[in-house]
Amino acid sequence: MKWLAIAAATIGLLLVPVLFGDRFVFVFIQMLTASLFALAFNLLWRHTRLLSFGHAAHFGAGMFATIHLMRLAEANVLAVPLPLIPLGGALAACLLGVVAGYFATVRTGTYFAMITLAVAELIYALGSQWEALFGGEAGLSSMRLPWAGWTFATTGEVYYIVLGWVVPAAAALYFVGLTPLGRLAFAIGDDETRVRFLGYNAHRAKTMVFALSAFHAGLAGGLLALVNENVNYGAFGGTVSASVVLHTFIGGSGVFLGPVIGAAGLTLLGALLSDVTRLWLLYVGAAFVLMMLYSPEGLAALFIANLRLWRELPWPSLVRLNLLGGLAVLAFVCTTVFVVELAARALTEGASATAVVLFGTTWSLSSPVTWAIPIALALAGHVALKAAIRQRRRLEDAVA
Amino acid sequence: MDFFVVSLLNGLSYGLLLFMVSAGLTLVFGMMGVLNFAHSSFYMLGAYFGYSVGRLTGFWPALIVAPLGIAFLGALIERYLLRPVHRHGHAHELLVTFGLVFIIDELVKLLYGNYPLKNPMPVELSFSAFRLFGLDYPFYRVFIALVAIVMFGAILALSRFTRVGLIVRAAVRRPHMVEALGHNVPMVFLGVFAGGAALAGLAGVVAGVFYPTGPSMAQELGVIVFVVVVVGGLGSLEGAFVASLLIGIFSSFAVGVNWTLADAFALVGVAGADLWGGAFTVKLSTVAGAIPFVLMFLVLLLRPAGLLGERQ
Amino acid sequence: MTSAVISLQGIAKCFGSLEVIRHLDLDVLEGERHALIGPNGAGKSTLVGMISGLIPLSAGAIFLNGRRIDGLAPERINRLGLGRSFQITRIFPRLSAQENLRIGVMARHGIRYSLFRPATAYSAVAREVEALLAKVRLDGRAGVVAGELSYSEQRALELGMALASEPKVLLLDEPTAGMSRDEADHVVDLIRTIAIGRTVLIVEHDMDVVFSLCDRVTVLAYGELIASGPAAEIRRNARVQEAYLGTEHVA
Repeated sequence: MKWLAIAAATIGLLLVPVLFGDRFVFVFIQMLTASLFALAFNLLWRHTRLLSFGHAAHFGAGMFATIHLMRLAEANVLAVPLPLIPLGGALAACLLGVVAGYFATVRTGTYFAMITLAVAELIYALGSQWEALFGGEAGLSSMRLPWAGWTFATTGEVYYIVLGWVVPAAAALYFVGLTPLGRLAFAIGDDETRVRFLGYNAHRAKTMVFALSAFHAGLAGGLLALVNENVNYGAFGGTVSASVVLHTFIGGSGVFLGPVIGAAGLTLLGALLSDVTRLWLLYVGAAFVLMMLYSPEGLAALFIANLRLWRELPWPSLVRLNLLGGLAVLAFVCTTVFVVELAARALTEGASATAVVLFGTTWSLSSPVTWAIPIALALAGHVALKAAIRQRRRLEDAVA
Repeated sequence: MDFFVVSLLNGLSYGLLLFMVSAGLTLVFGMMGVLNFAHSSFYMLGAYFGYSVGRLTGFWPALIVAPLGIAFLGALIERYLLRPVHRHGHAHELLVTFGLVFIIDELVKLLYGNYPLKNPMPVELSFSAFRLFGLDYPFYRVFIALVAIVMFGAILALSRFTRVGLIVRAAVRRPHMVEALGHNVPMVFLGVFAGGAALAGLAGVVAGVFYPTGPSMAQELGVIVFVVVVVGGLGSLEGAFVASLLIGIFSSFAVGVNWTLADAFALVGVAGADLWGGAFTVKLSTVAGAIPFVLMFLVLLLRPAGLLGERQ
Repeated sequence: MTSAVISLQGIAKCFGSLEVIRHLDLDVLEGERHALIGPNGAGKSTLVGMISGLIPLSAGAIFLNGRRIDGLAPERINRLGLGRSFQITRIFPRLSAQENLRIGVMARHGIRYSLFRPATAYSAVAREVEALLAKVRLDGRAGVVAGELSYSEQRALELGMALASEPKVLLLDEPTAGMSRDEADHVVDLIRTIAIGRTVLIVEHDMDVVFSLCDRVTVLAYGELIASGPAAEIRRNARVQEAYLGTEHVA
């Protein structure tokens, strides 16, 4: 079953450039790199309980190192096959990770988070000023050189380079969790002092895990640089560090593939919806806070809890429960989006606005219909939620 | 000379503003162990609330009303967003406040627009305090400093000489002990969180009419106030005061100094380092933004508990 | 003459102006089961922390088998042959009982930060983990996540962890804390088996445990050593009666 799913996913991923146009293939590339980045980030959090707020430093280091290598190749200084160049980005990020990790992992908890944040801010501040290395506002550009009959001129060809790196890298990250260092990292996340009394140098282990995480973050960055053929110091910016946190925790940090759900899902939705709404980040932020409140282990944990119930309960009642819950969530989301988007448009129109255009329809602000819709939606959501809670209680009683 | 004096004065005034924002942050951190990522968002909201209230009532009532509004908002956030995740640990509390940053940022852009507002200084405060080397020194900088100092004094007096202050100080150090003594620690947390938010809000109202009131206000100050808290020492108000002034003055001087690493090498007898280019020709003024972080590294590595923090 | 395995020479610890340990000398001899007792606040926990490298000394020196160990990091001290358990259970709640012990055993086999094989692939380690599980009587619970074990099972695991690095010297910090009579008896049995061939220093509150288990007893009060000697002697010592046994109920 498990292998079947993996095989199906692999075939699906291989077929992407065949099935979709360039624009979507590019979105898929972003989904893949964001997923690898989130997995790298979560290697630190899930195992070692280290929360990095500055992982853009390593992502950006991978991007810049890759671009520099591509430029060297372009200048005929370096003869490295194009598909191997992102590895250079990963190694550069790993090097930075050894240094930054050595200092950051002296502390844990909030202090660790602050140090990583400061590292990223420091590099950002340098990046914005040091033109020779980071190219200033315009950034640095390069071109993909052909290799072994491949021109790498189409997005489809580049997609396979990205896929060819991301899947093995993700597998490697999974494998790390099984090795002695990976198990040790878990133990450190639980009780560092205990680990030291078993004869381990915890600081050394944390630095190694940090460097591994930086390596994969750098690889993700390097792949994106290879695709974009351009990078500027914005790669070190707070938004990049923040996005990986949002992706990981919305997707679910407790399960290996959780961050992938968040990264791929949010990247896809972002690409689809960023033209439709200006308030994308508001929704992501709200989803994130709600997730932290009601399901701190993210979407993956909800999914797994459901899977467990699936084995224990008769499926018709479970389907009903999921339908009701889904309906409630959908209704509340629709209500919120409707009201917020209505307000956003009314506010841009100014105080004198009487009607706004939303979803291709004109809504009069004084018409009762306009306001009846969100109220009805909210009520429907409320009823569905109540029913879902009742149903769940019944099911729990039945199990107990 | 004139550069020195003006930089010093500007640094002091900026440092005192930093202190107004970081005071609440360090108190909340010391007490609840939560570094509130959204704290500088409260500062930004203070500026915007101040602007909205000020348009109705004028500047002075806004100076009182807006911080109260922020305090109320802070109380709601503590009660309904932070307290429920408390049992999951500090990391989750930190993450909730992290998520709030996006919500507040986007709501501000939604309500006020994605550009700085015209938020004029009250006429009665916009005059020159004194002439310095032929330049008028704005009184408002002095006003910012005065508000910060009065606030510092008020907090110190409140914490030293009142019963509430005693309980709060005790709860910062030993929350469980204070709870065991029968005090309502969650209520104390709520109060401190709301109070800290109000202080940030007050700083926002005051700063909003001098620096631009815009949607990037929170981001510009955000990381710096973390630096202040870490450098000053966990939960230490006095530490935050010293660290704020230090960073304020450092940044203010660095902006005006055009030294490069090459100059530093020349000073010790290595001439021509500027020909190496790269990092050696980057002017100190252009990397002024990086100085607080360098300071933070040094403190974390050499004196992890902060300048005035206690060793744990 | 048997040699001192742990030797404390003139050690002291001050927290600010508070002297928690005052110029203390103590030798723990090879092969003995040595108890450290004393009323609350006597400085027992501080002493254990100092020996194991968690709390720095204000003065004096600590030797382990003749080698000076104060100032060394806990992991170095552990590698020199000192294992310890904690008063408050310190296990890895997200790992299974078996994995908990594996972390302990791996280090001794020199497999610390390896990345090339799964942790389960080392057969010598696996055999030893099995043996250790049986020793602390957790073989039936190997796969259970440690956070879900019962309290006494967790305490047993805690002991197993202290044993995992095969230390010649064991430091046990209140191994029966918070246990019922039956559970405590069980742990005493356990300690008896694992103490064979080892030197054990136990901090303990339960006098039954102390006198049924230990050859020698050292009494600490207000940071000072007030008596040290064979268990039977200590039981009769007047100063001990007054300073410690007199103030606390002898069960």
